[in-house]
Amino acid sequence: MVKIDLAKVSVREANEKLRELGEKGESAEIINPDARHHLGVGLTAPINVKIKGSAGYFCAGLTDQAHFDVEANVGWGVGDNMYTGSVVVRGNAGAIPGVAIRGAEIVIHGNMGSRAGQVMKEGTLCCLGNANFMAGYMMYGGRIIILGDSGERLGEDMSAGEIYVAGDLISMGSDAKQVDLEQSDDESVREFLDRYKIPFKGNLKKVMNAGTKLRYAKSEEQVRSIPFFTFSGTSDYWNSKIQEDIHIKSQIGRYRVRGYGGARPLPHFNDISFRKDITHAGNDPDVVSKVEMTTEVGGKYGANPLKLSMPVMIAPMSYGALSRSTKQAIAMASAMSNIAENTGEGGMSDAQRDAADQLIFQMLGGRLGWNIHDMQRADGLEIYISQGAKPGFGGQLMAKKVTKELATIRGIPEGIDLRSPSRHPDILGADDLVIKVEELREATGYRVPVSVKLGAGRVRDDIKIAYKDGFDFVELDGMQGSTGAGGAEVAEYVGIPTIAAISEALEALEEIDASGKLEIILMGGMRDGIDVVKSLALGAHAAAVGTSVLIAGGCIACMQCHVGQCVTGIATQDPEHEKRYKPEVEAKNIHRYLEGVRWQIASLTHALGHKSVHDLSRDDLVALTPEAAEMTKLPYAPEFRDRDATVRAKVS
Amino acid sequence: MPIDRKDKNVNGPRTLLAELPDDTSDIHYVPAPCQIACPVGTDAPSYIAYIWDGEYENAYEAITATNPFSSICGRVCDAPCEPACRRTDSDGPVQIRNLKRFVMDKVGHDYDPPSLPVTRKESVGIVGSGPAGMVAAHDLCEAGFEVHLYEMTDRLGGMMIWGIPAFRLPQSVIQEDIDRLTHRCPGLNIHLNTTLGKDVTIEQLKNQHDAVILAIGSWWGKKMGIPGEEDNRVVDGVQFLREINAGARPEMPETVVVIGGGDVAMDACRAALRLPGCKNVKVVYRRGSDEIPARKIELQGAIEEGIEFIYNTQQVSVEAFNSGLKLHCLKTEDGPPDDEGRKRPIIKEGSDHSIDCGMVIASVGQEGKCEHLDEKGWMLSDRVNTNWEGMSTEDPKVFAAGDGAFGGSTIVMAMSHGQRVAYYVKAFLEGRENPLPYRTPHKTRRVAVAQDQLWEKLPLQEPVFHGVGENPIEFPEIEDTYSREDALKEAARCYRCDAETGSTDYAVKHREDIFVMARTNPLDHKKLKSTIQDRIRARVNPFPNDRAASLDDLTFLPANLSRLVIDPYREACNTATDLGEGKLLLSSPFFVTGFDSTEDDVKRDVGRGLAGANCGYIGVKPIANDVNWLQLVLPGQIKPHKDASAIIYAIGHKFQSVEPERLSEDQLLGMAISSLEALPEAIPYALENNFDMLLLDATGALGSPWSELKSAPDLAILRDAVSILRELDREEEIDLVYFGGLRSGTDAAKVIGLGGKAVVYGVVAALAAGGQITDTHDMHFEADRTSDDRSEGVSAILKACANEASMMARCTGKTNLMNIEPEDMRAISVATSQATGVPVAGNTE
Repeated sequence: MVKIDLAKVSVREANEKLRELGEKGESAEIINPDARHHLGVGLTAPINVKIKGSAGYFCAGLTDQAHFDVEANVGWGVGDNMYTGSVVVRGNAGAIPGVAIRGAEIVIHGNMGSRAGQVMKEGTLCCLGNANFMAGYMMYGGRIIILGDSGERLGEDMSAGEIYVAGDLISMGSDAKQVDLEQSDDESVREFLDRYKIPFKGNLKKVMNAGTKLRYAKSEEQVRSIPFFTFSGTSDYWNSKIQEDIHIKSQIGRYRVRGYGGARPLPHFNDISFRKDITHAGNDPDVVSKVEMTTEVGGKYGANPLKLSMPVMIAPMSYGALSRSTKQAIAMASAMSNIAENTGEGGMSDAQRDAADQLIFQMLGGRLGWNIHDMQRADGLEIYISQGAKPGFGGQLMAKKVTKELATIRGIPEGIDLRSPSRHPDILGADDLVIKVEELREATGYRVPVSVKLGAGRVRDDIKIAYKDGFDFVELDGMQGSTGAGGAEVAEYVGIPTIAAISEALEALEEIDASGKLEIILMGGMRDGIDVVKSLALGAHAAAVGTSVLIAGGCIACMQCHVGQCVTGIATQDPEHEKRYKPEVEAKNIHRYLEGVRWQIASLTHALGHKSVHDLSRDDLVALTPEAAEMTKLPYAPEFRDRDATVRAKVS
Repeated sequence: MPIDRKDKNVNGPRTLLAELPDDTSDIHYVPAPCQIACPVGTDAPSYIAYIWDGEYENAYEAITATNPFSSICGRVCDAPCEPACRRTDSDGPVQIRNLKRFVMDKVGHDYDPPSLPVTRKESVGIVGSGPAGMVAAHDLCEAGFEVHLYEMTDRLGGMMIWGIPAFRLPQSVIQEDIDRLTHRCPGLNIHLNTTLGKDVTIEQLKNQHDAVILAIGSWWGKKMGIPGEEDNRVVDGVQFLREINAGARPEMPETVVVIGGGDVAMDACRAALRLPGCKNVKVVYRRGSDEIPARKIELQGAIEEGIEFIYNTQQVSVEAFNSGLKLHCLKTEDGPPDDEGRKRPIIKEGSDHSIDCGMVIASVGQEGKCEHLDEKGWMLSDRVNTNWEGMSTEDPKVFAAGDGAFGGSTIVMAMSHGQRVAYYVKAFLEGRENPLPYRTPHKTRRVAVAQDQLWEKLPLQEPVFHGVGENPIEFPEIEDTYSREDALKEAARCYRCDAETGSTDYAVKHREDIFVMARTNPLDHKKLKSTIQDRIRARVNPFPNDRAASLDDLTFLPANLSRLVIDPYREACNTATDLGEGKLLLSSPFFVTGFDSTEDDVKRDVGRGLAGANCGYIGVKPIANDVNWLQLVLPGQIKPHKDASAIIYAIGHKFQSVEPERLSEDQLLGMAISSLEALPEAIPYALENNFDMLLLDATGALGSPWSELKSAPDLAILRDAVSILRELDREEEIDLVYFGGLRSGTDAAKVIGLGGKAVVYGVVAALAAGGQITDTHDMHFEADRTSDDRSEGVSAILKACANEASMMARCTGKTNLMNIEPEDMRAISVATSQATGVPVAGNTE
């Protein structure tokens, strides 16, 4: 038994020591814990840790195989995302004990705070005292045992799993119901209690999901999309798209869902032009070697930065929305072009990890597929707050795509219309976020950058928080970003355009004297190197491409991603359809596309008179429309539109 | 309800080049790969979509526009479109050829296209009536010239008629195309049994005509050049087919060997198999199975019919043996690729062997021959010496085209030669010395995408295959034309690579740009450079000056880090509100209006729907007993009614005082205002007289039927009403209800954010009840809906709108719809910012 005295060492040092001890198979005792946060975070070897006192937030979080015994109380999020292993808390636990556990056993001798077991997938959370409100909130699986009273709204929006209560059922949550207790259930609970030497003689009540909200009642009629110009610009007020929407909504009685990005035109990069005449761009065949393009991302606080061969990375897209083959092809292409890939929401597959050289691992509110092992093999971690296509909303994955395999990797029940939570269980404000970021850093030994993905909304405020909360970089996604499925109205009418987002972000940093101190990766409708160069000139550190990469790999933009039977095998989990996608072939196509992007970036940068992409600036740009000018504060120069036309005439 | 999906792609700018008109300058059109692969530029995506729509005559027009031999092509075209189809890599190409056959069988027989009159004085002489010659003739007739066609046989059609056996291409089908063409071209004079050099000389043609086209074809089979081939049981494939197509059905030996791997070899072997006496047919081909040039479908057909293929075998000599023949051969193996990238066959030493048979049909290539031209020195070894650039020959007045000018190819390629030569001949006759280099024009008919729910899943539809059939000697057709059902399924499979989808950011041109990048070698700088040049141009501003302020151009700011998101999928968001300080409680802030003069049955159904959704009705008359009625009162015309929940005096455009009267204590008092100008007087008046609500009519025509359809709403009425109230500092004293052009729950949330307390739907409810907007901006209700459909539609749309509106509220971080504020929104157009006072995105004021 090795003693670690937190009066003498920092938590970071203590956790490092615990990792060492775990490797050696030794047990540890922590004294003077003084309710510090993140005790024992990130342990992956079997180890017994005794905490002589109280622990703060996320005690034993993000661990596997470790066993903890806490003498007194714990703060919120005890056992966060624990795989196997156990935590016994002799006192009380704060809110969200057992959040997102994936197999661990957590026993709390006292009472526990609200939202116990939120988004848990597997394992047992046991409370000898009373639970506060909304225990089992949005749980996807596993078991909660409450020997005292249940608290209000028990099992609120649970998708699966079981809750046993010995005391009073104070009130039931939405979509939860009491069911008959089977003898085997009872025996299993008592076996668990015996194992933890908890005397119990009472009777149990069982609560499960009522199944009324797991699937949309009426499915939406599938229609191929109407051409955008029929419902934008100067089209009829009651155009055919409006009529179609009303027609379909009057059948299903709810909002429409669809995939892909926004449909109608918004002020975008093509409303911005280059100030210089760049008709000669591309004349120099050797231009790639003449422009400095390598870009490091996320190293400002000492983590190992991502090293991009050009200021481009792949936008986060999930395995789930996309087929495994597609994710594999993109990972391969990203490695061939030496840029970074991103897992998106759905977890990390071995194939993807092996294929990608640099891989960012994304964490969402549902913690789907999130786990310590994949965190530790990632090259970057990312907290998803929202995305441009549907900011303020969680992911949607229609039942058709929630196959057995996918459900397993995400830790959720098969075949439900999955609506991921719209916010994190443990991030309710800027202060929580700081603690969460720190937990991720602890779990990965401060080795990898931690970023935040933000859909563009109140960018001015959000970016200041992101800066102050110490993120290594930000992925900022304008409303032109795409998604596998989302509310159709949300895609069109929530958020702000990409060019407005970056401009507002940079103004915000200037306001707090932090210009140039936060790397912003811009995305949302980034089509090619031309858009990337404009992004960089507007002040982005790098740009990310998503939909364009899919198109390079064969996507035909039919906007039916949500249906799940993608004709090209990209946005599907149906093996018959996935077969249509040849990862090796498409990886090469995507790679060629990325190399084209590289060439375009080099050619334009060179034509604009710069030797490095990092020298691009707002001075290189003008706005062609009043809207673009208002959004970016670039000079409004409609005369450049005419110049473009003349130049084009000259070229052709 | 059928939705009108005939969105024609009409608003793209088009520059028509007089000489080579096409649609490629339309920003919403990119020719699909199938169309690009088609030598005659057939607008396949359009005709496929027309088939799905059941518009066969339109499909026929699209098919035949550039192809006078469409019936023939529907059966035997080489169909280069199909391997180009982007669905090929997924689950097989769209069966473009079979779909063409379907259309031609359906309407090709009796379709009588308008005739092409002679309008010019010049005439053109064309030698040869194969696909090149006849298409040239057609195009020149179309241009108004008189054309004389000289054909050495007694029939028109060239290799189409002499080279392809009837089981693949029945004579009647050929005749159909030829009849249509000749019927259509009164200026076409046909001279059968007229051989160049025998019956007519080139000099005579030059004298008689202003230009001459030589389309002599590749009529003669090449010799194998091996010992023994002079035996009369060794025949050439083209000659063999010619005899059969002339009607011969010769008795065959038991075993026939066909040498060669091209389409002639395929036709010859399959024809031989159907003739009396023949039991086995073997095809001997010198390269491997991967290299055989025959079209896959013909090859498969031959295999299915039982023909044996012997690959990697080179014929060496033929020898008479007993009563038959012995074909001596050597084995080959695949060597390094030749100039065309095909593996070169290399002889294996010591592999000599022989194949016994009764007949050898050599199909090892064809050549064009013409002694008459040869004597003049106009011929290369096997064709007329022709310059591809202008299709010209040694003589400036003489042009050439087709296989006889460029070597053996396909029907469709020969046809494209015919179009090309016609283009240059026309330029020549018009005296244009340097015409634009010819390129195949690409047109689109801008047909809406097929709305088939199974389009992603439907597998390739195979037509019914019969093989040799029950009575082979009759040469029955090998396969059937699609049934209507199968044709629809196959048509639904088309990706529509040519068309716009709903995505602006990934419009068809952008997608093609990305597609090109993804298929361009990173070292191909020239191509990469073009990807930049295409993209640096400015687009048309999507918010042009004449685009009015619109609710569309407001967006919501989502909660992220700075505010807590209310889970839009789960957490509660209150949509309930009230009017008149609790006098009228609403579960959602919605009313419906507009059905006063609608048919009684529709009205009844809508009434039921409103009752189901607990939504009140605003109108001159009540709609149902159990629906709150907010009575619209036209001053001096209609009297207030005591049963109404509210009395709303509609003052129209100009303020006038009314005599407000509440018939019961809890009756609401309201005033409907239809113009901005009336607000400054109306609002203080309403406040002074204790009105509960103002109904702001942004259409300017509340009360007239479906006023929302007449013009877009003027949002400024809400802005002005709010600002007047604000100036008076009496915002809380009166409720603003907004009417005009609301199409969704999102629109409602925006209006509420701008200061509305409730909104009124009109057209939305009508559409949900099955109404259809007419050309005269009116609403029409078909009798095709059940009563329940209508009332459920109305209930559902109101539910959906509440659902949408509350989603928007939650994502901005609000638990009550009423709490949305202007600050939760941004404008994306300057006009909308001005009309609403909401800042442009990226700005705070």
